[in-house]
Amino acid sequence: MSGTSSDSRPQGREPVPHGERAKAVGHIVFNLALLGIAVMMFVHAGGLPSSAWEPIGSGSFPRLMLALLALLSVLMIIKEAAKLRHTSALPSGSVGDWVWRHRLAFGVLGLFTLYAIAMPLVGFRWATLPFVLACQVLLGARRPRQLAIAAAIALFMSVGLDALFRHVFTISLPRGALL
Amino acid sequence: MADFFLQALGQVSSPSVLALIIIGVLFGIIGGSIPGFTVTMAILVVFPFTFAMDPVSGVSLMVGVFVGGYSGGIVSGVMLGIPGTPSSITTVYDGYPMAQKGEPGRALGIGVAASFIGTLISVAVLVFFGPLIASFSMNFRPWEITALIVFALTLVAGLSNGALLKGLLAAALGLLITTVGYDRNSNLRFDFGIPALGSGFEILPVMIGIFAFSQLMGNLEKLRDDQGKAKGVDTNVTIPYGRIAKDMAGQKLNTLRSALIGSLVGALPGTGGTVANFISYDQAKKFSRQPETFGTGTPSGIVASEASNSAVAGGAFVPTLALGIPGDLPMAIMMGVLILHGITPGPLMFEQNPILVGAIYASLLIGAVIMVLCQLLLVRWFAKISLIPQEVLVPVVLMLCAIGSYALNNNLFDIWVLFVFGVIGYLLWKAEVPLTPLILGVVLGNNLERQLFRALELDDSWMTFLTRPLSALFLALAVASVIFSLYQDRKIQRNRQQAQVNDA
Repeated sequence: MSGTSSDSRPQGREPVPHGERAKAVGHIVFNLALLGIAVMMFVHAGGLPSSAWEPIGSGSFPRLMLALLALLSVLMIIKEAAKLRHTSALPSGSVGDWVWRHRLAFGVLGLFTLYAIAMPLVGFRWATLPFVLACQVLLGARRPRQLAIAAAIALFMSVGLDALFRHVFTISLPRGALL
Repeated sequence: MADFFLQALGQVSSPSVLALIIIGVLFGIIGGSIPGFTVTMAILVVFPFTFAMDPVSGVSLMVGVFVGGYSGGIVSGVMLGIPGTPSSITTVYDGYPMAQKGEPGRALGIGVAASFIGTLISVAVLVFFGPLIASFSMNFRPWEITALIVFALTLVAGLSNGALLKGLLAAALGLLITTVGYDRNSNLRFDFGIPALGSGFEILPVMIGIFAFSQLMGNLEKLRDDQGKAKGVDTNVTIPYGRIAKDMAGQKLNTLRSALIGSLVGALPGTGGTVANFISYDQAKKFSRQPETFGTGTPSGIVASEASNSAVAGGAFVPTLALGIPGDLPMAIMMGVLILHGITPGPLMFEQNPILVGAIYASLLIGAVIMVLCQLLLVRWFAKISLIPQEVLVPVVLMLCAIGSYALNNNLFDIWVLFVFGVIGYLLWKAEVPLTPLILGVVLGNNLERQLFRALELDDSWMTFLTRPLSALFLALAVASVIFSLYQDRKIQRNRQQAQVNDA
């Protein structure tokens, strides 16, 4: 099982072009999003009721945290924006390269989304079996022997664990609304 | 306490609990030996299996994972040259060269022996200092507890290697997460239009999502980098017991010093095994008569590394049990686990749950003995298991995370909570935001708000935080930790600029 036959390019080792600028842009976008969320929540928390006989109202603690979060986000944006001046513009296709480098992670996250959707519908066993199998195929199990091992692992992890939780730990995993 | 300890020992020595400790240690070693899996992940994966257990059984199993996990990193470190956990990085410096010289069994044996002694010494530290600090902290009032939590959070944020702002941001985010749902007066604060969020987020899916997803997705980004190294590794290892006994006889001082460093570092918030590992290795090198042999396969290097990282296990329990403030990330998760079992770590735990405290001591001791036996008898198998590829590991661990989140309350919504926080955790990890302050914020958030509220209820003046000596001391330490890390940040920045100039 240790050998993978994936035709994917090795990840993580190739030099990222204009890495510093990409990082700075990423940080700015991330902190702007965080700042936006913090401001919206801060306004919402301002409308929460305060008690006449209590020292701090419902919104006081969250507002304290949100103000701190907003302040830190602004500081981060200022810090990262200063870096933009020292780096050159990103070449075209950078975003595509970035997405390509993260395709396995995005693929697994996509499969997990399907898994979470399928679980209430078809139950733990029949959602887990294809999820574990599909993930292994996505991540490199392609040869017949690897596929056979992947199928055995998927079967054990779905049917086997379901039985273990049900009969040994007396915890019932989802059965599925459609079954 | 001795009565309670004997009572706890009786419970822990029962066949069923002993079996659980053995399973925990085995799983911990396996988890620690697989590169990219880590002790924390092992704890998270085992946790759902404890739901149906009584607290002593559940905690014993988790402690077993803890002890096994800290010693497991040595297997892949020695055999593959890849640290199984970050806390065994310096083990590779000498363990791998020794294995390359044809002595993998000697390297593993020395590491296991040092781990064992390190754990024992750290348990002694825990038994001595735990109750002492707990009885001292019994006098803490809400002002002191609030200030102590603030200090712990700033300290952890400040230790985020050159990223103070990000560390503080993560801590604030963690605290904010705990404000979702209804508050103590049944006022709905935030539910984002989702009725299921009225009761707030469950700690467990949030912690698992933030930590496990970022770790696993990070592993995927470097998939295949390490696998070439794993090919052709000879896992046939024999342990030369006589040689190891002779090696260890010459390492008494080094072992003691390293174990004490590990216990001390483990007891400090936000540090953990990785920091202990480096400090201990550095100190062993400074004290050595042959510092030039470090990095070439010397027993001293392996002892320093393994005795210190294993000693973190006992040390990290000190602030968790005595103050209710976890020392590092695995301990933050462990504290979450205790809370979910209905146990609130803190000074009162020594009075209210002495048997459980005794069970933790006993499990650590028994776990250490089992760890040595398992490592020495099964090392060949652990070496084989450490070669499990990420393509198998990632889906299996994600699936176990989903079970853990669901089985807590038999609630499918928690799987979505896991997923959303998984994506958030991955994004934060990509943005190089440290995750330990965030998880600490999630674990301590409710207590911080409760204590702040109580303090202001008793005396509505914020100045009281500064007029009470201990509270003022903790706040001063919090400010000092921020100033110190600002200084560190600038130093790191200067060094980077200097390196860039030199490269040019």
